Amino acid sequence: MIPRPDKLGAPMGALLAVALALPLASYRANRIALAEARGLFEALPAVWAAALLACAVATIAVALFVRPPAIRLAVPALTLLLLLIAIGVAARMLMANGADYARVAPGTGFWLAGFALSILITDAIVRLKPGPFLRLGVFALAAAAIAAILVTGEWNALSILAEYRGHAATFWREGAHHLQLAFGSLAAAIAAGVPIGILIHRSERLKGPVLSTLSLIQTIPSIALFGMLIVPLSWVAANVPGASEIGIRGIGMAPAFVALFLYSLLPMVANTAAGLSGVSPSVTEAAAGMGLTSRQRLISVELPLALPVILTGVRIVLVQNIGLTTIAALIGGGGFGTFVFQGLGQTATDLILLGALPTVALAFAAAVVLDAVIDVLPGAKA
Amino acid sequence: MSRPFVFLLRLALVALVLAFLFVPEAFRPLLEPFAPVGAPAIYDRASLLDLTISHLLIVVAAIVPATLISVALAILVSRPIGAEFLPLSRAIVNIGQTFPPVAVLALAVPVVGFGTWPTLIALFLYGLLPIFENTLAGLTGLQPAVAEAAKGTGMTGRQRLFQVELPLALPVILEGVRISLVIALSTATIGSTVAAKGLGEVIIAGLNSNNLAFVLQGGLLTGALAVILYDGLGEISRMTAARS
Amino acid sequence: MIRIEGLTKEYAGNAVVRDVSMEIEAATITVIVGTSGSGKSTFLRMINRLVEPTKGVVEIDGTDTREMKAYELRRRIGYAIQDHGLFPHWTVARNIATVPKLLGWDRKKIDARVHELLELLQLDPDEIAPRYPHQLSGGQAQRVGVARALAARPDMLLMDEPFGALDPVIRAKAQTDLKSIQDRLGSTILLVTHDMAEAIRLGDRIAVMSEGRVEQLAPPAEILTHPASDNVRNLVGDDDRPFRYLSLIPVSERTEEGTAEGTPIAADRSLYDALAEMIWSGREVLPVVGEDGSARGLVRRGALLDAARSVA
Ligand SMILES: Nc1ncnc2c1ncn2[C@@H]1O[C@H](COP(=O)(O)OP(=O)(O)O)[C@@H](O)[C@H]1O
Ligand SMILES: [Mg+2]
Repeated sequence: MIPRPDKLGAPMGALLAVALALPLASYRANRIALAEARGLFEALPAVWAAALLACAVATIAVALFVRPPAIRLAVPALTLLLLLIAIGVAARMLMANGADYARVAPGTGFWLAGFALSILITDAIVRLKPGPFLRLGVFALAAAAIAAILVTGEWNALSILAEYRGHAATFWREGAHHLQLAFGSLAAAIAAGVPIGILIHRSERLKGPVLSTLSLIQTIPSIALFGMLIVPLSWVAANVPGASEIGIRGIGMAPAFVALFLYSLLPMVANTAAGLSGVSPSVTEAAAGMGLTSRQRLISVELPLALPVILTGVRIVLVQNIGLTTIAALIGGGGFGTFVFQGLGQTATDLILLGALPTVALAFAAAVVLDAVIDVLPGAKA
Repeated sequence: MSRPFVFLLRLALVALVLAFLFVPEAFRPLLEPFAPVGAPAIYDRASLLDLTISHLLIVVAAIVPATLISVALAILVSRPIGAEFLPLSRAIVNIGQTFPPVAVLALAVPVVGFGTWPTLIALFLYGLLPIFENTLAGLTGLQPAVAEAAKGTGMTGRQRLFQVELPLALPVILEGVRISLVIALSTATIGSTVAAKGLGEVIIAGLNSNNLAFVLQGGLLTGALAVILYDGLGEISRMTAARS
Repeated sequence: MIRIEGLTKEYAGNAVVRDVSMEIEAATITVIVGTSGSGKSTFLRMINRLVEPTKGVVEIDGTDTREMKAYELRRRIGYAIQDHGLFPHWTVARNIATVPKLLGWDRKKIDARVHELLELLQLDPDEIAPRYPHQLSGGQAQRVGVARALAARPDMLLMDEPFGALDPVIRAKAQTDLKSIQDRLGSTILLVTHDMAEAIRLGDRIAVMSEGRVEQLAPPAEILTHPASDNVRNLVGDDDRPFRYLSLIPVSERTEEGTAEGTPIAADRSLYDALAEMIWSGREVLPVVGEDGSARGLVRRGALLDAARSVA
């Protein structure tokens, strides 16, 4: 008798089956030529195609009928790994009989299969109810696998890496800019936001006005804020002695930094205040009863207990900043957004991906790592 | 701040935005100092009113279906038949929200080309997440005693949903719509880089031609629209929340 | 009449209610008492099928409850719980009207019923009906909860620790009020509590639960005089038993012929009250009077102590 198929396994299995029938790769004779589709067996040597097909069929079977989450994780993960390696193999094979400036990119079949597999993997991980260390472990393993594929040159024939080779020097420079902006504004927001949070926690009168001002700032669309900051910063650069020497200019990093800082204030301030007000009054009273001064109470009792909530603010800010930094490119602030907007300007998909994929990866990494850290902290939500 | 004062402030902001949209020329003297010599001080390649309308239309066209679909999905996973999908859907929303809106927008372009579509798709996809998350929080956050009473008085599943669960979740759902709208308004501004018609066009034209007057008017206009929308929806969700 | 036969609930193979059988007469109060976790709520919730029994039958007036739709069954059974569970987005009037509306009563009839119930529960209809639950005190909210449970004249009323969240003074008043409402309406009530004093005060019969089983089902006096097991004895509390017992017996039962001096005690008060009066006033004998104030005789301290000793 056949058991009832899994509710999620059925649609994802179907999606995977459809993906196998769709083109695995797309081939263009040059960077801007029209794409031609290449199916599984056209794009891959027969052995590879057969192996991938076998793995996919196994995954579909597992997704439909197997219960233990460990197996539900392992089989789709292996298939995904094989798919990632196979796309590199396909690119090499297709490039071998094309011209040097031909381009091979993953096709709809690849993306769809990747999507279905990712959902299955996520589902299996969720069913495992992993603790913070297991989550970090799985994440590290995935990151290591992708790094290994990149370093060994498995993907070198893919168009996005061809694009990367064309921009290798600027890629790392813009990457560094991106991180500087995201982390620098985060640091500034922590330095300013935590004290403001403490202040409004203690003064009910300031709380309303401060929080509503900061949330109004958050509602201003990013391009608008980035752009409008050019005006005051140009004025500062021109009129405040020494300002332009330390790099303050109307366009570039300075307005981007200020805008990111302003956006970051709300989560930092609000979470600090929320964390502090979440500390049970009996705890602070006990601390006061033992003779701790208000300053000692803050440092040794209240802030440590509020730390998980404050760190949640840091997580929100970091993820948000990594994304928003992309916009900085529009006002000459650099970062991965440079490639995104250049790519949009030239209708060059690979260039867009070269900017967008690292941004997504960075934001995802920041979220996973900080979530795990928050869970590890004592007193974190159970 | 006193309520009448806040009310006047809101009224003034709306009046200012309307004045600027209908008679932009009146504001020329204010903006002229920021424009390069000989360059126009008021955006002249399209009417600001048209741009505003099309900007808002894109936002509405994305957020209305996003609201319907994410509320429906949240209802589904909070019922017994969809319960299996609840943890997964939470995880997907968490992961989805780490995707920067700009990246979603940029990634839509290779799939559907330039113009309004990639913007609509990005706004729609990104709009789903906060509304879904909030609706789910509202539906699952029902006080246990109230949930028990709703069953105990003999309401059917549908009656519980429409008479108790949804009305009580409404303020939280509206808060989600408010978050989505603000993000959508902001992302629609970036949509101008992929040739969607909207107010971002004014800012970007200003940035490209070094015309700060354009940057300022586009920035202030989108900023004011966002604030008005955010504030107005906040007022509505406060009204619905007053009793619970 | 409600007949319960072999009712059992298991969670993952663990029985939390085991093979409970009882019959509940119409117009009586049956109190389920037991320590927390003994399965009282689960038992109660199987009667209106908020929990589906693993085994066993519940029959109301000869009809097996499994033959009805769960929601139809629930509309016929009033249900009041500890945290009242009033719908926060509805006014008091709308809350009370919940079941009548579900049953499709017309508006006039509903309005009249809401008015009547608020008065029955000693709440001013004009003042309370338009309020929202957050504008009520704890005691008021609890009464509205009871009014909502009674609204559609249910066959029976299930109450799960209905007074659990009230302070002692309001709680005592709520108990006497419930008793008098039950007297007037002749309702059939099944009430859950972990408080033996409450059980003795309210119950016509008390079912003592422990680890999912009913260890004894008997009138209060019998629970006090003949506890069926150590669990029951512990729940009653050895030290208090004589006093609890005295509180159940009216003075009229121990009244003798004769006359005595001093302030009299009413014949329908309890022996417990008589003893307290004797201790306070330093007397050994109290005169007893009837409702109309006419002399009925006297009650002696010795007779009280004999009565109390009979529990041991
Ligand atoms: N849905 C459930 N799943 C598993 N165990 C339950 C469930 N509901 C109640 N229990 C268990 O059944 C036992 C009795 O619970 P309950 O009837 O609420 O006791 P009481 O009302 O007497 O305090 C408890 O040990 C409780 O943990
Ligand atoms: Mg209970």
